[in-house]
Amino acid sequence: MWRILTLAAFLAFGFAQEITVLTHSSFSLDKGLIAQFERETGLRLRFLKGGDAGETLNRAILTKGAPIADVIYGFDNTFLSRALEADILLPYRSPEIQNLKATLLLDPTFRALPVDYGWVSLNYDRAYFKDRPLPQAPQDLARPEYARLLVVQNPATSSPGLAFLMATVARFGEDGYLDFWARLRDGGVRVAKGWSEAYYTHFTLYKGDRPLVVSYTTSPAAEVYYSEGKYKEPPTGNLFPELAFFQVEFIGILKGTKNPEGSRKVVDWFLSRPVQENLPTEMWMYPARRDARLPEVFRFAPEPLGSVRLDPKAMAQNRERWIEEWTKVVLQGQNPDQVRRGRR
Amino acid sequence: MGFSRLAGGLLLLFLAFALLYPLFRILLLGVGEGFARALENPYYWERYRWSLEYGLLSALLTLALALPLAFAFRRRFPLREALLALSTLPFVLPTPVVALGFLALLGPRGLLGVDLYGTKALLLLAAVFYNLGLALRLLLPVALGLEGPLRAARVLGATPLRAFLRVGLPLLLPALGAAGLLVFLYTFSAFGVPLLLGGARYATLEVEVYTLLAYRLAFPEASALMLLQLLTLALAVFLYLRLRAYPLVPGELLPARWPLGLSLGLGLLFLLLYAPLLALFLQARPEAFASAWASADFTPLALALANSLRFTALALLLALPLGVAYGVVARRSGLWDLLGLFPLMVSPVAVGLGYLVAYPGLRGSLGLLLTAYALLAYPLLARALLPALRSLPPSLLQAARVLGATPWRAFLRVELPLVLPALQSGLALALAALLGEFGASLVLWRPEWTTLTLAIHERLGRPGEAPFREAVALASLLALLSGLLFYLLDRGRGRWG
Repeated sequence: MWRILTLAAFLAFGFAQEITVLTHSSFSLDKGLIAQFERETGLRLRFLKGGDAGETLNRAILTKGAPIADVIYGFDNTFLSRALEADILLPYRSPEIQNLKATLLLDPTFRALPVDYGWVSLNYDRAYFKDRPLPQAPQDLARPEYARLLVVQNPATSSPGLAFLMATVARFGEDGYLDFWARLRDGGVRVAKGWSEAYYTHFTLYKGDRPLVVSYTTSPAAEVYYSEGKYKEPPTGNLFPELAFFQVEFIGILKGTKNPEGSRKVVDWFLSRPVQENLPTEMWMYPARRDARLPEVFRFAPEPLGSVRLDPKAMAQNRERWIEEWTKVVLQGQNPDQVRRGRR
Repeated sequence: MGFSRLAGGLLLLFLAFALLYPLFRILLLGVGEGFARALENPYYWERYRWSLEYGLLSALLTLALALPLAFAFRRRFPLREALLALSTLPFVLPTPVVALGFLALLGPRGLLGVDLYGTKALLLLAAVFYNLGLALRLLLPVALGLEGPLRAARVLGATPLRAFLRVGLPLLLPALGAAGLLVFLYTFSAFGVPLLLGGARYATLEVEVYTLLAYRLAFPEASALMLLQLLTLALAVFLYLRLRAYPLVPGELLPARWPLGLSLGLGLLFLLLYAPLLALFLQARPEAFASAWASADFTPLALALANSLRFTALALLLALPLGVAYGVVARRSGLWDLLGLFPLMVSPVAVGLGYLVAYPGLRGSLGLLLTAYALLAYPLLARALLPALRSLPPSLLQAARVLGATPWRAFLRVELPLVLPALQSGLALALAALLGEFGASLVLWRPEWTTLTLAIHERLGRPGEAPFREAVALASLLALLSGLLFYLLDRGRGRWG
């Protein structure tokens, strides 16, 4: 029986000098860049999309004994502690670290290296709000006339959803954020499973019925970039920099990789200038490298002033509880007071 | 006898590794902190309540439809056999096929233009579709045996109504109970259908466990819910085993007053019932096959198909000796009978969860997946084999032994050939079940192992028209494949259920 199993296992795994990179499903890079890397190193790159950033990381954790990839890219600062605690990554002091913005180096053990950063932010449809008043302050969102215009992502299944939840915690505090969400719930906020469902199905710009959506500060610039000249100005805008949430995306080498040498090359490549200058218009994040030039279209994506940040330790300690409390209030319809009383 | 002891030992070893130890670990994890946390959350109680409601409502609805059908099938009419064979078809269809069929008919992009996605009605319809054939198969033999007792009651002066209520119904009750409990067992712990059709509102315990695991890695809560489900299923199985059928003499088929009308009516009913399946094939477009074949965003069709076939074949190789061993041991012992039912009680998601908890070092290895497959397949095989083995006259074996055959040789040369047809039927059933396996595959998933069922799930997870089209195409392929393989192996004998 074990011979059959071994044989089958042998058949199931690839051979060759292939490096598998596990990414979230929004991953994309220029094909020419990838081909060039493959030519220069003799490695073959395979990109494996594991779903949302959190789901992708969980996949890596659930297959810890026999990793499904060599390198994982795309888990963010909200999940950093989970990745580090699960002990799935190998440390690597890449020579490129000296070129990265020092504030992004959130893991002193160098198991998770920053690749890019950005802000999760509220977007609005300019056409819809042309003759209608925009909400004036974050707490206005909870008023019924705005709550029913908003679509957010479920923080349990989506990393922008989690970032937005954390932004509300930072803005309204441990005591207030659940009340804010309870009012959003009563007002009729819609909860989508992930970003692409929220943006491409429910957002009015794509024929949905919600003109307010949780997305990224760079999304308006992306709309201009992809419109092939249709838009000179973004059709959408950012609202409330004070609700924007700072996100850093990391890369790491998975423990148990059969090719640590090649994996290190891949990490260096992600941090190299060509990739760093390509990723802004591919994944709409800001490059982690200090000397990477931003594309011209990023003038529509200014970095928000006064955005919120949470202490990484606080995020690590409270993430699960926030998600659980949010689920209880928004999806399960419980009373915020009752949920707060249940805290231990 | 050494031979059967060896078989028993092999089976126990496998069960200990593949079922008991993982379950024990879940138990440990679940009774601790997780149980307290899960039980104080009314949301999980609501999930439990809904799972119960879903199981009970499905059972009642299915019985309500199956009982008159069983009485109709007592009569002789043209195409009776064909319709009866057709009634068992859904049971060998993978859950994603059924789910996609209902989406193709009644979903947001459905043929009828009525969107029932995420409603209770759609889930119940799917449950009835799935289980009607099973209930019919269980009720029909009893319904056929009723004629004698009913006639006796009439002769003794009872009105037709009174005869039915006082004689027919009591005789039917055990079969009704058995069918109802089986439908409850299947729907209470359903995974594929509520995952794909129910949305967040109608998640069963099984779906909730998967969600807890995939998105939050919340092992303790997941284990606690699994435990709750297991206890409920155990209760249902206990009741099922307590049922004792009355020994009825199977009667002849009765003449029908309007045989043609009966076949027409029943034909129409089945057409209506199988409309989702028809919608699925109607909605499958050739270009969707082409795009699924060369898909860059999702697992390409060829890989998914190859995986499905490969895993099914490998797991059957494992399940075959287990099933035969089980048949050999269990034919003389009731206790073993119970042990064989046990894997049917434990949900595939629970099995996957248990492996992740119990064997962290083996996470992501194919051995675990195949073990799970074999565990889910061998009881199906064994249940088909067991009646055949039990019906063999012991004198045959004794004769072989007297003529000098070793026990092993006697088994291989005398018994096995005689039960081969039953074995083939069991194999067909196990094959269909494995092709449609969803829960364990999803929990133990590795990207290069994406099967057809998972490839469908993957596409449904993305918004938009194109992924939905591809999912429909894959589902119709899977339906053809499992239907075809089942009938090739089983040849319509249907020696099961």
